[in-house]
Amino acid sequence: MISCQTFRANLRPGTDNAEVLEHLRHCDACLNAAVDVDPDMFFRAIGGDNLVPPGGVDAFVGDVMAQVRSRQTESAAEPPSVFSNMRRLAIAATVAAAVSTGLIVSNQRPVQKPASVQAAVLRPAVTKPVIETYESKNATIVEVPSEAKDDVQVVMIFDESLPADL
Amino acid sequence: MIPTKDNLEPDDRQLVETIRRGDESAFEQLVRRKTSKVYSLCYRIIGNAEDSKDISQLVFIKLWENLEKYDPRYAFDTWLYRLVTNVAIDFLRNRQSRDNAVNSNLRLVKTAADAEQPVTVQRKEVETVFNEVSSVLSPKQKTIFVMSEMDDLRSSEIARILGCRESTVRNHLFNARKLMQQQLKKRFPEYSRLWEESR
Repeated sequence: MISCQTFRANLRPGTDNAEVLEHLRHCDACLNAAVDVDPDMFFRAIGGDNLVPPGGVDAFVGDVMAQVRSRQTESAAEPPSVFSNMRRLAIAATVAAAVSTGLIVSNQRPVQKPASVQAAVLRPAVTKPVIETYESKNATIVEVPSEAKDDVQVVMIFDESLPADL
Repeated sequence: MIPTKDNLEPDDRQLVETIRRGDESAFEQLVRRKTSKVYSLCYRIIGNAEDSKDISQLVFIKLWENLEKYDPRYAFDTWLYRLVTNVAIDFLRNRQSRDNAVNSNLRLVKTAADAEQPVTVQRKEVETVFNEVSSVLSPKQKTIFVMSEMDDLRSSEIARILGCRESTVRNHLFNARKLMQQQLKKRFPEYSRLWEESR
């Protein structure tokens, strides 16, 4: 890797010099200097090294190959098609027609609610607030709007100072 | 030892030819060779390790299923990058619409107090800042910005990968920078001053 002195001497706005970029991506001290020359260096500093997926390359390759093999097995195990495309279309059309007819017939019948459902509808929902007030400087509080007046009010609190098992 | 034809690593095109003849181990070799490259690009576009891993695996599955479509007259990496960007852009679009659906039902009541920070660039924070400010970019803008600024690809190469004009790439880049500077000013004023001082 080139020295900090060489880096600063060769630094130009929008540079694509590989050595300069490599230095930028490894040297914290030069990053500030680079941003003064070209603000885009701020984000260019992220690139560079090729990253390794979580779990490592071997595990990753193993997973991919396992998926490829299982797909191969699946496609090999599929039974050959019995029906031609035209026949499949005809069957699909028949099924669609049968379903639509069934729907039309069932929509014309009067709908009667079961007794238990009617009782449940009449019963008012009773809920207690879990937290009534919350005060914290570091919290982000998000309120989920209720659709109806009697709906439960849901409020989400994001606060890193809260214990994890609360 | 003088390298002979036998002990030389096959190049990408030769590997693809071997895979097309049904050699599964050649595919494994290709996956191993390209894993870091594919994962790095996915990670920089998506910004999340686990999602990037899943998307990278999906890229290789699609590669396996579509290898017949690769035309060896063109560079293999260009074709691979196109596959990566297509899958990553689709993922971002789906995630955006999912996030929009959730956020449309939420109302921000109070945000955490802004911490006062010194105006020095801290390397570890750059990635966090990038993930935050780049969230306003369209999936295509973000992909182009990543390929240009972090993968150091030229506009002509990006245009070839995405199958668009070079001027389109430059327009997307210009708009991406503008949007990100606006976001930086809004969300990270301490870093935004670095831009203003140097312009």
